[in-house]
Amino acid sequence: MDSATLYVLAAAVLFGIGVHGLIVSAHLMRKLFAINIMGSSIFILLVATATPISGQADPIPQALVLTGIVIAVSATAFGLALMVRMSQETGKATLAVEDEPENDD
Amino acid sequence: MTTEALALIVFLPLLAAAGAVVLPTAWLGLSIRVGLMPLPLLLLIPTLEVLENGAYRIALAGHSAPLGIAWQLDPLSLLMLWLNVGMTLLISLHANCSFRPGQPHAHRFWPLWLLLFAGMNALLLSADLFNIYVTLELVTLTAIGLIALEGKPPALRAAMRYLLLALLASLLYLLGVGLIYGQTGVLDLYLLAERLAPGWLSVTAIALMIVGLLIKAAIFPLHAWLPAAHGNAPGPVSAILSAMVVKVSIYLIWRLWFWGVPEWDLDRAALLLGVLGGMAIVYGSLAALVQQRLKLIIAYSTVAQLGYLLLLFPLASTLAFQAASYHLLSHGMAKAAMFLAAANILRSLGTDRLRHLAGIDQRLPLDVFALALGGVSIMGLPPSGGFLAKWLFLEAAWSARAWSWLILIALGGLLAAAYLFRVLAVVCLHPRRRGNHRHLKRTPDTASLAAMLLAVGAIIAGFTSAPILDLVEAGLPPGLPR
Amino acid sequence: MIGLALDLLIIVSLIGLAIQSINAASLFRGILHFVVLGLAMSLAWARLDAPDLAMAEAAIGAGVTGALMMIAYRRLIEIQPDQESSLRPPPSRLAVPIALAAGALVGVIGLAAIQAEPMPALAGTAVLENLGSTGLGNPITGVLLLFRGFDTLLEITVLLAALLSAQAVTRQVDLDQSLTTQDPDTPLVGALLAIVVPLTVLVSVHLLKAGGQETGGAFQAGAVLAACGVLLVLTGRLGASRQYSPLVNTGLLVGLLSFILIGLAPLLWGQPLLALPGLWAIYWIESAMMISIALTLVLLFAGAGSLKRRDHG
Repeated sequence: MDSATLYVLAAAVLFGIGVHGLIVSAHLMRKLFAINIMGSSIFILLVATATPISGQADPIPQALVLTGIVIAVSATAFGLALMVRMSQETGKATLAVEDEPENDD
Repeated sequence: MTTEALALIVFLPLLAAAGAVVLPTAWLGLSIRVGLMPLPLLLLIPTLEVLENGAYRIALAGHSAPLGIAWQLDPLSLLMLWLNVGMTLLISLHANCSFRPGQPHAHRFWPLWLLLFAGMNALLLSADLFNIYVTLELVTLTAIGLIALEGKPPALRAAMRYLLLALLASLLYLLGVGLIYGQTGVLDLYLLAERLAPGWLSVTAIALMIVGLLIKAAIFPLHAWLPAAHGNAPGPVSAILSAMVVKVSIYLIWRLWFWGVPEWDLDRAALLLGVLGGMAIVYGSLAALVQQRLKLIIAYSTVAQLGYLLLLFPLASTLAFQAASYHLLSHGMAKAAMFLAAANILRSLGTDRLRHLAGIDQRLPLDVFALALGGVSIMGLPPSGGFLAKWLFLEAAWSARAWSWLILIALGGLLAAAYLFRVLAVVCLHPRRRGNHRHLKRTPDTASLAAMLLAVGAIIAGFTSAPILDLVEAGLPPGLPR
Repeated sequence: MIGLALDLLIIVSLIGLAIQSINAASLFRGILHFVVLGLAMSLAWARLDAPDLAMAEAAIGAGVTGALMMIAYRRLIEIQPDQESSLRPPPSRLAVPIALAAGALVGVIGLAAIQAEPMPALAGTAVLENLGSTGLGNPITGVLLLFRGFDTLLEITVLLAALLSAQAVTRQVDLDQSLTTQDPDTPLVGALLAIVVPLTVLVSVHLLKAGGQETGGAFQAGAVLAACGVLLVLTGRLGASRQYSPLVNTGLLVGLLSFILIGLAPLLWGQPLLALPGLWAIYWIESAMMISIALTLVLLFAGAGSLKRRDHG
């Protein structure tokens, strides 16, 4: 088994962990962890499956992932600010279903 | 000239957004004007180019694909650009009342608004799958920031849910893009047709991208985030979200489907998408029927109306394409008009609960009229853009002998009539209509004017269809049946 | 063989840390695990022959994200010290099957992608062929600034959008609460800053300069510089401010503005849009982006619209 295969398998496990965390976590910060872990797993997959070009790593997937990492941090930073504000307004950092009647003003 | 004009169409709003952040508040109004007002004039130049010579392509930085990123303007993207520019400008007229420079949230609103505008223009021009991903993120983040802007708990919750789902959707899209790069070695959408063979891996890649885009487009059953987000956002934001932001995702699916992989045999997938569209129409309409708040009714109506845009896949003909494009256009204007009118009502009344709306037609005649005109187009009553779009859909289904779609389209119109008449009945016919509205706040005239202009536009669209339909036809992918 | 063992070790820790960060008993421990997960990711990138990503992950993924999460956590416990006792996890009978299916799908896709007939990576090959004529040694910098520069331009726009969106939802009332915890005026702090600050600035400038030829670039450099800014905030040298500051706002935008203006300029003399006129333009844009990225990150950390200097005798 070569290391690319190993990392692909790791990506699969990480993705599963992320999905599970996204579903079962109540706290928004943990949901953000989960989304970030899923993102990392996709990033690993993109780089590990890239075909080298005459012995050299293909720069395109790496450049795309670099962009992806910055975008993930941007979204996470905004998500954290949103979470803090939610917690200031409602006292809780969660999206719990029970306190969300659809027709509230 | 065309290149320069297109460059400014993307970069002028970006520069204006930067100006709105850097410059002192006194200059905010100037930044807004610079970033918005020249755009229709600028867009004329590429319009003439496309009408004369067809699709126009720019290799950014002079590096043509596959090395670099390209912009491609063809009749369909031209139509979308006009739609985005026109509606953003009209809605900005309204936003200039609720977020007039100097008011509490204005200096937060306008930079995000301009960035959203620039991001949509860049998205519509981009021919590069990864570049589209970046523009989608820009659009999503600014849109969510705008939803949460006023900091009300329901809007914050809706924004958070939207953010999590949108991030998930982006990941699926990105995974698809990566797989396609592995399969073809290119990222340019218009190079896929000849390079992407239909193996299961490439099918999975396209499917992942489409699912991601369906989440962002809030297509049933992935719609759950939309009503709360669109229903709780500030008025102008709801308007642009429903009119444009969700639709560009569907536009991208059209692109992938008919331009990216036109040779693939996708009949069953097309049927599946059509069924989803049908379920969206039925479910969204029924949900709109039972809502108690005006903005939520309009938001659920968006869920329903988006469904029509998916009927293009099973019908897949020139007529269906014209119908879907025209639906996109007329629904955009009608829905923006309704959201703006609803925002004016909400602002005047302090609530948009249906039972409080009895009799407001006497106090807010212009807004109620705009709401009704928008409703006429959404229901598909003649003469309106919505009528024409539904008519074209019926014609497309008829000539494809697709009876079940035909019935569905007709049913959708009836359901829309039901949920919209329910609103109008309360407003205009309710027995308690001499309700006491003395505490009403006045709506600024331009706010009502913006809603009216959009509503009238949605009606006029019923008369001036020929050039637009010709434009759509000129931009169709090769090999589509009549 | 040693390589394989190393890979296994990294992978096991990735998985362990991921599980821990989501399931740790306390949220704070979760954050710690998440930060260490970023470092493990960075090792994974190094093993996957992606040194630029390794550095970006360490600086941005682990460092910046970690700092942002810590400060968000602090703000949360100021509101409600006990963050999780009242939270009921959502019903989750389907969570495990869904997670298994999703993981399996990703695994199957990945394995199939590895085993698929290798296609000629046209874009990547074109990058490596054209790199020689640009004067750059690092193909990734070539992609990010020259060949696909528009991606990067939009990427810093996304970062700006995230900041603006975050500011839009940040309540401005409780801004002036200081972020400093300890007495910032002990002499030791001053001495520490006198060493650390110039050093981090030096490192980020080096990273920036190196980016052209080897590993590095504006994002990594900006993140390191941001760390320096965060330190200044934490020690009370820089404070959150509500006041409009032309200097801060210009710094925030200088990267994007430089990129746009230098990108538009070639149209004036008949060159293609965004065709950067020479290496100087690349270095200028990268330096400007570094400053903007660093400032954006510090403002995100401070949760403020602006910054002001605070004097400590």
